[in-house]
Amino acid sequence: MNMLKVPLQIFRYKPGQTPGYDTFTVEIPATAHVIDAIDAVWTSHDHSLAFRRACHHSSCGSCAIRINGLEKLPCVTRVTDVWDGRSQVRLDPLRNFPIVSDLVVDMADFFRRMSAADMAMICEAEAFLPFTVDTFAVADLEPKLVELPENFSRFTRFEKCIECGICMSACPTMAADEKFLGPAGLAAIHQARKKTLDPVKVEHLLGLADGEHGVWRCHSAFECTEACPQAVDPAGKIMALRRELIARRFLKMLGK
Amino acid sequence: MSTLNYRKLSRSGRWLDVRRRRLGMWAYVLNRITGLGLVVYLYLHLGVLSLLLRGPAAWDSFVAVARSPYVLALDVILLAGILIHGLNGLRIALTGFGIGVGAQKALFVVIMVISAVALWVAALKIFRV
Repeated sequence: MNMLKVPLQIFRYKPGQTPGYDTFTVEIPATAHVIDAIDAVWTSHDHSLAFRRACHHSSCGSCAIRINGLEKLPCVTRVTDVWDGRSQVRLDPLRNFPIVSDLVVDMADFFRRMSAADMAMICEAEAFLPFTVDTFAVADLEPKLVELPENFSRFTRFEKCIECGICMSACPTMAADEKFLGPAGLAAIHQARKKTLDPVKVEHLLGLADGEHGVWRCHSAFECTEACPQAVDPAGKIMALRRELIARRFLKMLGK
Repeated sequence: MSTLNYRKLSRSGRWLDVRRRRLGMWAYVLNRITGLGLVVYLYLHLGVLSLLLRGPAAWDSFVAVARSPYVLALDVILLAGILIHGLNGLRIALTGFGIGVGAQKALFVVIMVISAVALWVAALKIFRV
């Protein structure tokens, strides 16, 4: 197997310590993905390295980081696509999120934004939600209700979007307005809007989009759409919401 | 939970950071730089106009300075700012109406080409080549 020795420069931060970078050289197969290189650091060099990963196939979005400055999913990014064979591959946590430790960011605000859309969609493949399997009841295969956090009536999932946070990291407006609903939040509102004709829900959703931290805060850098690994096209959704809001204002002016 | 607020560390830098970013981000940054430049110009312009309050002699002496090649070069830069900011503003307005969203990069290239051609013609006129 063709092996590579890849130098990685990884952002490090532990609470109470000054942030900085550590460099590790890992030996990995030439076909390896960046997540394999991070795994190799954890396995062979430093067990204190904090990072997230789960599905390894661009489905869960949990491993999103910045590779050489650009937001990517390391589980589907080949090392050879981001390494020129000489310089170090730099790994940073996502921007616009508080950093918990090393490559791990706090996603709580992101999920609060997503829930603002009050999305009512559950992918059919996940119809078992909000059920889970009790570890001690596996033999009986009895699903058990998940204990939901306070004020959560149900789990919801935005179709197509894997909730990786990459668009929020790529968006320059997020750096200027901490309350901006952001590309993912606004795309979720657009998706929820498309799925309902209920006038009360429509008013609620468009009211959110039309608010101080809604679609008008977007300054059309289109970086969210460029960075999105799932072709959600958040910028396109934001523009579609703007078009609907403008059309409604015109109709209102005409008394319709 | 103790976290590091990375945003505060890099907020100002984020607006101008175009490293490895795509055309949309370049357009975003150019619009900000030209917008700030035009605001500064507006105040300079008002300051210059206030020379009229000090009589014809003060104004004539400014006109003599304004004809120097250095100030004419500043005029070309000003025109570049107006062209890029104005045309990019049209692009943003169009996409904001949901028109040409999928072609926003091509639109940016078109406005830059129009700006470059218009600037070249204007520069020739300004320097009377």
